[in-house]
Amino acid sequence: MNLHKTGIVISREYLNKVKKKSFLITTFLVPILFAAICILPSLLMMNVKEKSQKVAVVDYSGIVMPYFESNEAAEFTDCSGEDPAVLKDELKSRGFDVLVVVSKLDSAKSVSIQTFSKKPTGVDFNSSLRVRANKAVEQYRIGTYQIAGLDQIMKDVKADVKVNEFTLDESGNATVSESGIYMIVSMILGMLIYMFIAMFGGSLMSSVIEEKSSRVVEVLVSSVKATELMFGKIIGIALVALTQFALWIILTLLLVLGASAIFGFGDMMNSADMMGMGANMGGVDMAAMAQNSEMSVIFTTLSHIPWGTLIISFFIFFILGYLLYASMYAAIGSAVENEADTQQLQLPVTIPLMLAFFIVFFAFKNPESAVVWWGSMIPFTSPIVMLARIPYGVPIWEIIVSVALLFITFVVMAWASAKIYKAGILMFGKKSTWADLWKWLKQK
Amino acid sequence: MAIIECREVCKSFGEKVALDHVSLEIPEGGIFGLLGPNGAGKTTLIRIINRITIPNGGDVLFKGQPITQADVEKIGYMPEERGLYRKMKVGDQVMYLAQLKGMSATAAQKALKEWFIRFGIQDWWGKKVEELSKGMAQKLQFITTVVHKPSLMILDEPFSGFDPVNADIIRKEILRLKEEGATIILSTHNMESVEELCDNIALINKSKLVLTGGVDHIRREYGNNNIEIVYTDADGRHTEVVSREKAGNEVLQSFIDKGATINSYRELMPRMNDIFIKLVTGGEAPEK
Repeated sequence: MNLHKTGIVISREYLNKVKKKSFLITTFLVPILFAAICILPSLLMMNVKEKSQKVAVVDYSGIVMPYFESNEAAEFTDCSGEDPAVLKDELKSRGFDVLVVVSKLDSAKSVSIQTFSKKPTGVDFNSSLRVRANKAVEQYRIGTYQIAGLDQIMKDVKADVKVNEFTLDESGNATVSESGIYMIVSMILGMLIYMFIAMFGGSLMSSVIEEKSSRVVEVLVSSVKATELMFGKIIGIALVALTQFALWIILTLLLVLGASAIFGFGDMMNSADMMGMGANMGGVDMAAMAQNSEMSVIFTTLSHIPWGTLIISFFIFFILGYLLYASMYAAIGSAVENEADTQQLQLPVTIPLMLAFFIVFFAFKNPESAVVWWGSMIPFTSPIVMLARIPYGVPIWEIIVSVALLFITFVVMAWASAKIYKAGILMFGKKSTWADLWKWLKQK
Repeated sequence: MAIIECREVCKSFGEKVALDHVSLEIPEGGIFGLLGPNGAGKTTLIRIINRITIPNGGDVLFKGQPITQADVEKIGYMPEERGLYRKMKVGDQVMYLAQLKGMSATAAQKALKEWFIRFGIQDWWGKKVEELSKGMAQKLQFITTVVHKPSLMILDEPFSGFDPVNADIIRKEILRLKEEGATIILSTHNMESVEELCDNIALINKSKLVLTGGVDHIRREYGNNNIEIVYTDADGRHTEVVSREKAGNEVLQSFIDKGATINSYRELMPRMNDIFIKLVTGGEAPEK
């Protein structure tokens, strides 16, 4: 292999892709999207907080109003002496958004609530009314039993049972964990690898087809060997992928940091706390506390994910997985002259890729099942499935075996693809089939 | 000395035999025509010389030594199926192809600028290939083939796709390169250009070498050996064709004796086109 010439091919392939508009667009749009996903929920929550509702309350029961304490989301005003019919008409002129009418206590010692407003009040508001009214009615009913020292009793019986999940490591140490976190991390990683392989493998295939359909390929192979050309292209696009990935990480971080600098980091953290809906509205302090301890479980869980192994594996599996699929894509691209003809040929490549994708969904529910284990070992699905498994903890020897199998398969596949590629790129004017590819593979 | 020598070169693709023990010598300097009908195996032979395709048997020698990848850098190849990256800038593209042929970036830049000036196309450098017409792209293609000053140029159907004006420019360039001492292999169906340009030819038919040698020699060989005599007598101008055996001073003398004036006396050479058709449709080469 002539490294100098392969280098020239790599640099053309790289520069050509990187200078393209589509590369620039995806490079800048994706981080904006990521950053938006990170920032938007917080921004939305901040907006909700700013717009508190002004509520007029007519309480016929006489027991509910004390439980309607004003907070950031709603400001309650007691209008109990007034006529609801008049209030309804004057609602806007008196600066109220909502009128809440609480009925008299009925025979079952309960109340019903009616709300009137120009705009729908929203689920959160309604449920907070219900929670507060329920509490008022419960307190009233308990009060009718006339039990001495009731407050103390209530405090004593209050229960808050939590399920704490622990995972045991090799040495039997228990660590706090939360399977939801593992699921999300493993899902994201599996998807990312799948996306990258499909995206950059496809991009390589188009590049091979472009050279063939523009007829530049025979000029090229008279200057550089077909294998050098193929590997130059594969490596060039791998570098494009890594560049794009690095830019995504850097730009996303910059955007998120920039946004939090503008909007204030503290505010964002506060509003993040508010994401537990109605926790503040219901005035239930316990909920906020539970929220906090849940956050701490999330952080402990995250801290127990083997990040070092994960990041190293991500790059190894991404690069090897890409190389394996890229060499197959190159062979397919060499056999056709336009993208439309690839559909039939592409099937054997897209099927294992899709299969891996589905196994990842399965791993989501059943990380320890045999299908997932084999999926993480068999080379065509392993880059995606193993990545999805790693957050749950995988013995290092399994990772090594999987990488070794993947590497061997890549070497065999690269050899076969190079043979097909060499013959395929010079076949013009005929739609090739799998039988043709097989023939080229056997050719001496 | 032969710049290229093929010895018993064989190539088959599966069942199909593309070249069957082809041996030929291409002398250094001059233009060598590689002729043959479609599918005869010309392109396969050219690809083997360029080391794009590896033969099943036989050897290819470059200046007497088995050809190596380094020798291929001294070849400029313009394939029949040719083209350029459509979306790439002209300058980037020609630089890329020149560097793949082993030129340094600075040498490539210098040589390319010279060629662009020679063809009067300096303002194309920053354009994309898709903005160029087909004829313009063909000119570029020719430049990329010759920019590294190859000692051997292989041009497969070089005139196809050119309008007469541009074809003439390329024809003149080919002759100029020949003057400078380069060897050119011309694969073509255009027999007129063979008569005009080629010094030697090889004819391949059905994967076998049918005929090789000097163009004049071959034309004479396959001629009917007739002589055309044009003379003027009292009745006016006449043309008479006589066979070479009869032709000679006696025939001329007989005309002169009749009181006629000889206007011209020339050997009738068959056209390459006729020889080609005769050999290809007749199958085997006639015994010499």
